[in-house]
Amino acid sequence: MTLLAVDDVTVRYGRLTALRGITLAITEGEVLFVTGPNGAGKSTLLNAIAGVVPPISGAITLDGANVTGASPEQIARLGFSLVPEGRNVFAGLTIEENLKVGAGMRIDKHKVAGDLDFVYREFPMLAERRHTAAGMLSGGQQQMLVIGRALMASPRLMAIDEPSLGLAPKIIDQVYDILMRLRAQRTLTLLIVEQSSTRAMMTGGRMILMRGGRIVLEGDARDMVKDKALKQAYFGFGDH
Amino acid sequence: MTAALQIVFDALSLGGLYALGALGIALIFGVMRLVNFAHGDFIAFCVFAMLWPSINAAAIVFAGNLPFYLLIPVLLLVGAALSMLSEVVVFRRFRNANPATMMIASFALGFVVRHLLLMLYSSRPKSITLWPSLGLPVEIFGARIPMLQVVTIIITVAVLAVLTLFLKRTRYGLEMRAAAENFTMARMLGVRANNVILLAFAISGMLAAAIGLILATNSGTADIGMGANVMLIAFIATVIGGLGSLPGAVAAGFLIGAASVVFQATLPHDLRVFRDAFVYGAVIVVLLVRPQGLFAPKSAKQRV
Amino acid sequence: MSQRPSVMWRTIATPIVLIVVLLAIAALSYQFGSRAFNRTVVEMLINIMVVTGLYVFVGNSGLLSFGHISFMCLGAYMTAWLTIPPMMKSVTLKGLPTWLLHAQLPMWVATPISGALAALFALVVGRVIMRLSGIAASIATFGLLGVVNNVYSNWDSVTGGQGSIVGIPPTMNVWVGWLGAAVAIAIAYLYSISRSGLALRATRDEAVAASASGIDIVRERLIAFVVSAFIIGLAGALYAHFLSIVNPGAFYLRTTFITLSMLVVGGMYSLTGAVTGVVVISAAIELFRNLEKGISLDGLTLAIPNGVQEIAIGIITIVILMFMPTGLTRNRELSLSGWPRRRRLLQPVQPALKESN
Repeated sequence: MTLLAVDDVTVRYGRLTALRGITLAITEGEVLFVTGPNGAGKSTLLNAIAGVVPPISGAITLDGANVTGASPEQIARLGFSLVPEGRNVFAGLTIEENLKVGAGMRIDKHKVAGDLDFVYREFPMLAERRHTAAGMLSGGQQQMLVIGRALMASPRLMAIDEPSLGLAPKIIDQVYDILMRLRAQRTLTLLIVEQSSTRAMMTGGRMILMRGGRIVLEGDARDMVKDKALKQAYFGFGDH
Repeated sequence: MTAALQIVFDALSLGGLYALGALGIALIFGVMRLVNFAHGDFIAFCVFAMLWPSINAAAIVFAGNLPFYLLIPVLLLVGAALSMLSEVVVFRRFRNANPATMMIASFALGFVVRHLLLMLYSSRPKSITLWPSLGLPVEIFGARIPMLQVVTIIITVAVLAVLTLFLKRTRYGLEMRAAAENFTMARMLGVRANNVILLAFAISGMLAAAIGLILATNSGTADIGMGANVMLIAFIATVIGGLGSLPGAVAAGFLIGAASVVFQATLPHDLRVFRDAFVYGAVIVVLLVRPQGLFAPKSAKQRV
Repeated sequence: MSQRPSVMWRTIATPIVLIVVLLAIAALSYQFGSRAFNRTVVEMLINIMVVTGLYVFVGNSGLLSFGHISFMCLGAYMTAWLTIPPMMKSVTLKGLPTWLLHAQLPMWVATPISGALAALFALVVGRVIMRLSGIAASIATFGLLGVVNNVYSNWDSVTGGQGSIVGIPPTMNVWVGWLGAAVAIAIAYLYSISRSGLALRATRDEAVAASASGIDIVRERLIAFVVSAFIIGLAGALYAHFLSIVNPGAFYLRTTFITLSMLVVGGMYSLTGAVTGVVVISAAIELFRNLEKGISLDGLTLAIPNGVQEIAIGIITIVILMFMPTGLTRNRELSLSGWPRRRRLLQPVQPALKESN
C-alpha cells in the first residue's frame, strides 16, 4: 500500500529551484534511502513532505490524503514525523518533557504512557537521565532523544535527515540497530537521508540518488552501491 | 526597623509591577521573536475601557462601576481580547518577517491605539476612583503599609505562581516552552502554531489589564501615557534579564524596582529628583559588565 | 584606495539628483507658495535631515533605532541655550552655567556645535548600546529615548521642564532648509561609500562572515551611530530656529514614530528611500491636515475629526510594511539613467537581527 506519494513536485527558495519535478512513492513498511551530494535537495525533499516549505507545483499525498501546502502540524497529525538534520532537541526542556511534546497531539492518550515506557526501554541511557535538561546531553544521546521524541508522535512514516552526522561509528551502529528494531516492532515506514552509502548497503532497502534537485537513479540499495562506476560518477568523493 | 520594612514593601510592589510588565513582553518575544512596543498602550486601553468616551476631566465611569468580582474578569478579558485581536489582524501577517519590520509594526500599532484613545478621551487625565479602601494603610510588624501595595505584591506572586505552574505542568504550557525554543520543530511534532501564539498574546493582554488596574487604583487617574512609564522600565528589564528568558525578565524587574526604591531612600535630598537618572546609570553599568543579560537562555546560538 | 573614484562615479548621481530635486522644490515653493506652504516645506526639509540621519544608522547596520529623536532634542536645546538672548535665559533657565547664560551665537555657529554635542553624546552612550545584540540594542535605544525625555522634562532649571522655552531667533527659510538637507544627504552619501560604511553593510547582511573577516562590528556600528547623531543634531538645531520654541514633548513618541515611518515607507536601506518616504508621508500629513480643517462645499464644511491624521499614518505604515516590506523604492537608489538601476541592492535577510537573543 502506498503510504506516501510525491507527484512532480517543484520547490523554490526565492529564485533558487531546489526540487525539480520530483516523483516518488513509498510503500508501507519499506525503508527508502535518499542519497546524493551536498545541495542535491535531499533535506528540501523532507521539508517539503513535512510541510515546512510549500511546493510551487505538484502534489503530495499521505495515506490517501492530499497534503500539498498543508501546515506541519496538520501533516504531523496524519502520521508523519520528521527528525531534521542537526539533532534539534529542546535544550531547555528535560528529556521527559522533550518526549512528551511529541505526544501532545495524540488522540489515543491512554497509549501514551505505554509508549513512553517503550522508548525508555529501547533507549536506557535516556531513562537514566529523564529529568536532565536536553541541552546537556552528548551528541549520540541527543540523536536517540530526537528519534524517541519522533516516535512519541506515533507516526506511520518517519523521516530522518542524516542520522549519522557527527556521530562515532559505534553510536551510528546503535542508532541503526534501534531504527530497524522499531521498524519491525511497530510497522514503521522509514525514509532516511544518508550520505554514507555503506550504511545503506548494510541496512538494505530501496534507494534513490538525487542530484541538482532531481532524482537521477532509483533501485535496490545494495545493487546501486555495489556498482562502482555509478559511485564514481555521481558520488565523486569516494566511499565512506 | 519599620523604615526598612517600608522600603522592602515599596521595592516588592514596585518591582512586582515592573516584573509583570517585563513578563508580558518576554512571553510574546519567546514564541514569536516579536518585541511588542504596543504593550504600554494596551495597558492604557484597558484602563480607558472602564470609561465612557468623553473629553471631560471627570470620567463617567461605566464599567468601572461594576463590583470587583465582575470588573476584574471583564478587564482581563478586554486585555486578552485586544491582544489577541492585534495578533490576528496585524502580527499574523508578519510571522516570518524580519525583526525590524515586526518592531516597527508593533510600534505603529501602539501609535494607532494611543491616538485612538486621544481622539476619544483627549489628553486630559481623568480622575477615577476604584476601591478607595485600598489606599488605607495596614499594620505589618509596626510599619504602616498601604493596602494596595500588599495587594500588588500578592497579585504579582500569585500571577507568577500560576504562570509557572501553567508552563511546567500543563500540556499547553509545555507546547509554549517548546515553541519558544524551536518553533518549527514544535510544529513538526504537532504543536499548533496559531494556538500557541494566541495563547501567549492572551496571557500578555491579561497582564496588561492587571497592570492597568493596579496603576489606576494607585494613582486615581486615567491618563493616556500611564502605561509608558512602567513599560520603559519593563523593556529595559527584558534586556537586562536576557532576551528570551522569562525568569530573567521577572528577576530584572524586581531588581530595578529595588534599585529605584533604594536610591530614593538613600540619595541626599537635592539629588532625589535625579533618582531615575541614577537607576539608568546602574542599568548602564550592568550592561557594560554583561551585555548579554543576567540570564542569557541556554539555547543561545552564535551571536554577533 | 584606487577603488574609491570609480565607486563615486557610479553612484554620485543619486545624491546629486536628490539635492537638485529638493532645490527645485524649495525654489518653486519660495516663488509660488504661500507663507504656510513654505513653512510646510521647511518642516519637510528638516524631516529629510532627520530621516537621512536615521538611514545612516538603520540602513547600514540593519539595526532599528527608536532613540534618534533624543539627538534631535539635544541639538535643539543646545541651540536654544546658545542663541536665546542672555536676558531671557537668566530669567527662565537659571540653572545654566554662566558661560552658557552669557552666550549668544549666530545660527551658523550654534548649529554645528549642537550637532557636535549630539555626536559626542552618541559616542558615550553608543559604547554601551552597540555591544548589545541586535534586538537588545533596539530596545536599548527605546530606553534612551525615554531616559532623555525624562531628564529633559524634569531638569527644570536647565531645560525649563515640560514647558516650552521661547526666544530662539526664527532664522529659518526654505533656502537654509535646503542647505541643511543637502549637507545631510552629502554626509550620508560620503559615509555609505566609505570603508566604514561598506564594512557595516557587510555585518548587516552576513554578520558571522563579516566578523570572521576581521570587521569590528561594535566599532563600525558606533561610527554610524555617531555620524547619524551629528546629522540629527543639526536637524534639531534648525528645528529650534524653525519653531522658535522648544519643549521635550516635541522630541518623543510622535516624532519618533513619524520619522521611522517615513524611513520605512520609503525603504529602510536606501538614501533615496529615506528622502522619498519623507516626501510621501509629508504630503499625506498635509492632505490629512487640510481634511481635518475641512473642505467647504456650498457653505457646508466637511471635515474629518481631529486625530484621524495620526491614526491614518499608523495604519498606512502597517499596510505598507505588510505588502511592501522593502518600502516604496524597494531599497533601490535613484540614478540618472532612470529608475530603477539594474545594479540592485540585495534584499537583506538581516542576520544582524536574526539572533536568538
